[in-house]
Amino acid sequence: MAKYLLKRLFYILIVFLLLSLLMYLIYDLIPFDRARALSEAQRENYKNDPAGLEALYRTYQRELGYVDADGNEIDVFRRWLQWWGVIKLNGAFNGVLQGNFGVSYTNVERPVMDVLKAPMLNTVFINIFATIIALGITIPLGIFCAVKRGSKRDTAVQVGSIIGYSMPVFITAILFIYLFAVAIPIFPVSGHSTAGNDYTGIRAFVDKLYYMALPLIVMTFCSLGGMTRYVRASMIEALSMDCIRTARAKGVKEKVVIYSHAWRNALIPIVTLVVGWFLGIFSGSIMIENIFGLNGMGKMYITSLTNNDYNVVLTLQMFYVFIGLVGNLVIDVLYGLIDPRIRVSA
Amino acid sequence: MKKKVFALLLVLVLALSVTLVACKKKGNTDKYAAFEHGGAVCNDYKVGGQVIIGNSTALSGDFIFTGLGKSSVGATDQDVNVLTTGYSTMEVNRGGSYVWNKTAVEKYEEKETENGTYLITIDIKPGLKMSGGTEVKAVNYLAYILAVASPAGKAFAKNTTGQAFVGYNSYIIYDGTNDGQEVMVDVLGEDGKPTGQKKSAGIASKTFKGIRLLGEYKFSLEISTDYYPFYFADTYGAVSPYDLELVLGKGAEVKDDGEGAYLTGNWYDKGADGTYVKKAHLETKRYDYFNHEYTGPYTISKWSEADKQVTLKLNPNYAGNFEGQKPHIETVIIRQVVEETQIGQLKQGEVDVLEGLTGSDSVNAALGLIREGGFKEVHYDRAGYGKVQFDCDFGPTMFTAVRQAVAYCLDRTDFANTFCGGFGAVANGPYSNNFDAAAANEEALNALNSYAVSTTKAKEALKNGGWVYNADGTAYDEAKGGIRYKKLSAGEYGVNDANKTYESVSNTDGKVYKTTLVNGEYYLPCAINWFASVGDNGDPNPVSELLTSKLQSGSNLTQAGIVLRKTEGSFTKLLGEIYREAEYGYAGKPTYGMFNLATGWNSALYDYSFNWIDSSSDLYDDYFGYSSNKLSDPYDKDFKWDDAANKGLTYAQAVEKSGGKLGMNYISMAMVYSVKPGNTEEYNKWFLAYMQRWNELLPDIPLYSNVYYDAYNSEIVNFKTTPFFGAAEALLYAAIGSVQTAK
Repeated sequence: MAKYLLKRLFYILIVFLLLSLLMYLIYDLIPFDRARALSEAQRENYKNDPAGLEALYRTYQRELGYVDADGNEIDVFRRWLQWWGVIKLNGAFNGVLQGNFGVSYTNVERPVMDVLKAPMLNTVFINIFATIIALGITIPLGIFCAVKRGSKRDTAVQVGSIIGYSMPVFITAILFIYLFAVAIPIFPVSGHSTAGNDYTGIRAFVDKLYYMALPLIVMTFCSLGGMTRYVRASMIEALSMDCIRTARAKGVKEKVVIYSHAWRNALIPIVTLVVGWFLGIFSGSIMIENIFGLNGMGKMYITSLTNNDYNVVLTLQMFYVFIGLVGNLVIDVLYGLIDPRIRVSA
Repeated sequence: MKKKVFALLLVLVLALSVTLVACKKKGNTDKYAAFEHGGAVCNDYKVGGQVIIGNSTALSGDFIFTGLGKSSVGATDQDVNVLTTGYSTMEVNRGGSYVWNKTAVEKYEEKETENGTYLITIDIKPGLKMSGGTEVKAVNYLAYILAVASPAGKAFAKNTTGQAFVGYNSYIIYDGTNDGQEVMVDVLGEDGKPTGQKKSAGIASKTFKGIRLLGEYKFSLEISTDYYPFYFADTYGAVSPYDLELVLGKGAEVKDDGEGAYLTGNWYDKGADGTYVKKAHLETKRYDYFNHEYTGPYTISKWSEADKQVTLKLNPNYAGNFEGQKPHIETVIIRQVVEETQIGQLKQGEVDVLEGLTGSDSVNAALGLIREGGFKEVHYDRAGYGKVQFDCDFGPTMFTAVRQAVAYCLDRTDFANTFCGGFGAVANGPYSNNFDAAAANEEALNALNSYAVSTTKAKEALKNGGWVYNADGTAYDEAKGGIRYKKLSAGEYGVNDANKTYESVSNTDGKVYKTTLVNGEYYLPCAINWFASVGDNGDPNPVSELLTSKLQSGSNLTQAGIVLRKTEGSFTKLLGEIYREAEYGYAGKPTYGMFNLATGWNSALYDYSFNWIDSSSDLYDDYFGYSSNKLSDPYDKDFKWDDAANKGLTYAQAVEKSGGKLGMNYISMAMVYSVKPGNTEEYNKWFLAYMQRWNELLPDIPLYSNVYYDAYNSEIVNFKTTPFFGAAEALLYAAIGSVQTAK
């Protein structure tokens, strides 16, 4: 197992490096020159000095690592290595390996990690709750529907889940805001916390939960349909297996049949989805964040893309690549734990 | 029985509804009608209460040195800066003009020196206090300019602060060791590489000669001849004081030994890595809100990066703004709102003020809420407008007749009404009615050609402009219709002879209109390539959509013999095409002659110099990038601004000398560089001439100018905003009604 893990980790490293190069090359192909954009923004200040503006452009080019001190263009491969911090940029190793992911130029010029911290925390905060609640509801509900397949209650859940599944998130969100924040003002319309509060500790946590409640409800509502139907389908398939029929014939208790025999067999496809959900706690929902005015990763990602803020985009994509690669490894390991047939021999 | 219960319930619901409506209507009466509501100066209010300002633009946290060296400045960040910075020598009044701050300035003197420079000497009032009780002195005003103009400041944020003052070029090359020495720099070739040659950047100077510390409360600023004469030169005297701890930190001071102000102590010290230590100090302070004193009416008490929300507390030491107004609202919070749900937030009390509502949906929702009671509004004309912008150096749009014909084909009144939902107006020139110069010329500006919709006039303009041919060079028959062509003469081939190979793009109907060559003559089609931007995520742009239906798909253009081809793309690409920058997606060949976008003004400082290029001038290439329309007025070829003999003339003299033919470049330059500060009458003449010539050449077609609505909780009294005086400025005059009436 350890050998297998080491081998997989080595592959992850190789894939990660290759993808980082690929991404870097793709963003380099986009016809956008940050040095030009920065200097052009000061054009008005150089009305009386066009030569000064050009000099400013050259300075930015040098500082951003596009050209060397002699004005020679630095090729994209060397710039990629500078980005990693394995070769020097302006006389110093200053890249990813040194903890420098570049500067974000959207609204405020600050290190990428400083800009990402707050939205990432917000996204993780809301997604953890949304994922746990959604799984807590959908798994038992899916099992219940599979066991009671064809019953009125199953049909009702199927209809409800189809509606929740089909309705666009923004419509659900607007509807819930109108119902629970305007018509019956139980929850705030938008925001993260009570304006001007000085809360600390538990009080601050509760206040944040209160503000997150409505988006959380919407996110949970919208994700119920898909997972419930998935669990139901998987369980129905498991319940029709020969081993289940045998277990029942042997007189094994129904609860044991469902939760031990059938559920374990149904878990394999579900695990892929569940792990995916947990990995997804780092990604934001652009719709939910926009409508509820939340400062999260979805909005950050789109804003960075539309503003050509490629340092942020590249950092985020590499992070998601890393999460995806590790997630795949986790899923494979979990498969082995759940199903002995898939276990990898050392 | 069930029916009876149901009937009883219905009656109860009805009664409850009537009661609620009655209660709401009752709330519509203004409890605070007796208070001042026009935004007049009033310092008799009781201090207290809280106001939450909602803005759809998120705060970024750049509140201290807002926008310094940045590619963009957040409007909401600026609001925080306005609320926390005070005692500036000049401040912007409700009309957008810079006025001297009577609270901070004891006296000031402006004069032209024998050297041709412009000297502004300022005495500030003793006793002005910052939030921590420290007195504001002259050094607090000079420290910021000296700091950010120095190499340490420029390493922190590339900026041009202080560039207008005498001695700037020498001061910025002083590195702490080379006072009085000549500084040599590499000469760069066109490719940006060093040629191996060196040139002098000047003699480095520790002192900034144009900035003088003349006493504890007195300083002067001398504007160099590069920046004077200039109509707005007095605004260079607008400087703000800062806490020395914030700007300089420990161990540095402002001194003046009679030769100019300078920074001493450790300001120029460098660390082991060769960088200035004060660069790191400034970088830290930019986002450190709690370890220095504030000069403005409020101090930052809390900033939440996660919420993008800032809480400001009243600064009791603040002595007032330019007219002595002090704040009376204890706490001001600025937070982000979502456009789709902002009215709900206002209703639920999550925000108290919503700024700049526009469009019929938002405005009608706000007005509905106001009718219910508990809220009020103030509205004003936007200082700006949406427009169609033309490229005037190639293609059909380089010809005035075509631009005028397009204007005649569009019913702008209908367009503005539809787009603004009744909350907007049509403009006839690039100005705001709120400008003093516009008010002074009101009658003449009202007489500008409004280009009222008329296909007859469109045809006439085209006919007079030579658009009287078919593609094969035969005479255009209006009865048959079709697209008009123009026979090009020498000088009409456009930039880089683009017109010789001009053709329409995005031809969804399969018809391509291109320049034809018949018997050695080029015929240009009246086919305009229009680039329309789409919103973020590719969402349709409502202006583009409306232009499509009202202009492109309308019958007027077809009747006139013009065709419009629409290409959609991102706003970045649009800017790339306008500025012809490959870095923004420009493909290397001018293709589009028409764009739709918007423009606006933050103050009444109206200066469009360098925007109109004279293609016959040596400076054409250098200043090409400053021109958004690339319009070369033929009048500028005959009467040039570059000719020294033509500079400095009065309007009357210029009209006489040019034979009444003043071009856009000349007017825009003379308007600010031939008029001395304070000569408003002369400036107003140039302003009108500029508008008249612009209206004739029509480089843009103004489409609409919105009416902006600010909706607010009626608990706030004396709240009055204008286009140049937003909620941040207006809140200074306001107070909370219930605090005033509380016993």
